Amino acid sequence: MKENDLLIEIEHISKVYDIGSEKVFALRDVSLKIHRNEYVAIMGPSGSGKSTLMNIIGCLDTPTSGKYDFEGVDVSSLTDNELAEIRNRKIGFVFQTFNLLARATALKNVELPLIYAGISRNERIERAKKALSDVGLEDRMSHKPNELSGGQRQRVAIARALITNPSIILADEPTGNLDTKTGEDIMRLFAELWKAGNTIILVTHEEDIARHAHRIIRIRDGLIEKEVQNPNPIYL
Amino acid sequence: MLLLEIKESIKIAFESMKSAKLRSGLASLGVVIGISFVIIMGWILAGLDKAVEDTFNIIGKDMLYVDKWDWAGGKNWKEVQARKNITYEQALRFKELIRSAEVVVPNARYWGGTVKYAGETYSGISIEGVTYEYAKTPMGNIERGRFFSEFEDRNGENVCVIGSIPAARIFPDSNGIGKTIKINGRNFLIVGQITKQGTMMLDFVDNVIYFPMKSFFSTFGYTNRSFTICVKAGSISAMDEVRAETEGVMRTVRNIPPGKENDFSINESQAFEKSFVTIRAAVWGIGIGMTFLSFLVGMIGIMNIMFVSVTERTKEIGIRKAVGAKKRSILYQFLVEAAVLCMIGAITSFVFCSVLVYLVATYLPQWNDSINFLSPVIPLNLLIIATIVSIIVGVLAGLIPAMRAANLDPIEALRYE
Ligand SMILES: Nc1ncnc2c1ncn2[C@@H]1O[C@H](COP(=O)(O)OP(=O)(O)OP(=O)(O)O)[C@@H](O)[C@H]1O
Ligand SMILES: [Mg+2]
Repeated sequence: MKENDLLIEIEHISKVYDIGSEKVFALRDVSLKIHRNEYVAIMGPSGSGKSTLMNIIGCLDTPTSGKYDFEGVDVSSLTDNELAEIRNRKIGFVFQTFNLLARATALKNVELPLIYAGISRNERIERAKKALSDVGLEDRMSHKPNELSGGQRQRVAIARALITNPSIILADEPTGNLDTKTGEDIMRLFAELWKAGNTIILVTHEEDIARHAHRIIRIRDGLIEKEVQNPNPIYL
Repeated sequence: MLLLEIKESIKIAFESMKSAKLRSGLASLGVVIGISFVIIMGWILAGLDKAVEDTFNIIGKDMLYVDKWDWAGGKNWKEVQARKNITYEQALRFKELIRSAEVVVPNARYWGGTVKYAGETYSGISIEGVTYEYAKTPMGNIERGRFFSEFEDRNGENVCVIGSIPAARIFPDSNGIGKTIKINGRNFLIVGQITKQGTMMLDFVDNVIYFPMKSFFSTFGYTNRSFTICVKAGSISAMDEVRAETEGVMRTVRNIPPGKENDFSINESQAFEKSFVTIRAAVWGIGIGMTFLSFLVGMIGIMNIMFVSVTERTKEIGIRKAVGAKKRSILYQFLVEAAVLCMIGAITSFVFCSVLVYLVATYLPQWNDSINFLSPVIPLNLLIIATIVSIIVGVLAGLIPAMRAANLDPIEALRYE
């Protein structure tokens, strides 16, 4: 793999929460490299620091110490506005609880990142429609989240994550709130996205889900326990 | 880019208000009251300004009134009372000597005259003796009929011109021209009626009947009264010159030695400005106080609802930040929401005030026709001021809640349930 394909380079980062009396070490010492068009799964028991790591990778949070380069840029040197811009243009989040705007239609939800990217209304609608079609929801565009099934909501969230053509898709337990069958559909969608050239990081604690990825990183107590390659990811 | 965000913010604001109609309505009530105060105060002041302008026009901006009494009341009252009367001879002598004035009319006044017509008695009317030239001054403006002529004046004929108040009292359904009335026992033929000119401030100017000076003397006697000399300068630019000459001539006529103070007053419309300024300041004071108070209440209301709105939408803020909303965007969103709330309050009060102003301006004069200076529509500049004020209030009230929203930590906001 070429070095200029390097997307994410994390060196010795830690995340410490100071809650008055004691310190919580969410991440102790994590180093990690992720290249373009990789499909990585992060696994670990509850409270091991998976979400914390994801939030740092996604520029929603900043590490207490250590170095994080995103596309060659040192993230710690960026302002809040620049971080917001990276989240807007380079990162697509998919959450376990979908995190859709309850009062907005599917179309409006998918449009949202484009509003903050300053895209005109017409282009926004056009692109949002395309993204919704790509996840198989062309006939649900004007539905609000509470009029959609869990799987459909997660598809809306994925369409929203894809709309800005981000460098990376971060999915924190995207199937956690879905039944097995629906979860598999979502995983199939991720596989297609990967095939289309996207880079994906997936957090899960289910082995079956992790088997979709090419590389599996196991963390425990804020440390990387081990990293294994997955020679035959399923669905591919 | 900025415009786009603001446009989006306005849409978001309307959506969020739709979902909390009652609360939004209550919150903007304070603003409605505040804006209403601004509008009503401005409207009353505009009316007062017009009343004053009207008053100045009645008195005449180019008129001087030489009188024993000081209209502005600025002088020592005892000193003024001790002044000698201005006699008829002095008035005639003044008229003879003055060069720069266009018209000079002596005026004798009898307060509380009694008029009899068709068996009824009307009292409390000011009966005034003037010359035919009074028709050239603003107070001698004729509505129907005519002023008495030079010939009638010289001969002291029993003719009179009637003001609008006695006209309305004595002849409620018709006009009195051609009718004969009894003034203090003598018959007078009404030849004309004076245009109604009084306003709230000076409605006594309409409660008057004018007749020739000779008739005045034969009716009320000659001695023991002080005359007013009405001097028309002809133009406002001539006022300074005429005022100066008037003073000089009066001093000559009254034999005032150099170095001694005037024992007469030269009154003009400006004299009323002082008392008006006080009224205006009082209205302003009350108005601003109440406006400030209600805006304060309004602002607290808006601030409160904005805090609730921010808390309720913590998750939404987290989502927006996760997909790339900057602090600035979130700040705008809530500021716009607060401003929109206030503007809805402003629009509500525009509607309310328009109706109120129209009703008051239409029906109040019917009840008391000297209150005729209020406009039935709200002046445009007031609406503009009120709109700007409402936006400022909204932005100020929304600032702290909006800043709290903008500074939320995205992860904590996302975790909020
Ligand atoms: N804001 C916070 N304040 C204090 N401690 C925190 C905070 N956020 C996370 N932690 C702690 O950091 C540790 C890692 O949390 P994290 O959410 O990353 O776990 P996780 O691996 O995602 O777990 P799960 O599988 O349950 O989602 C936990 O012990 C958690 O209690
Ligand atoms: Mg987690």
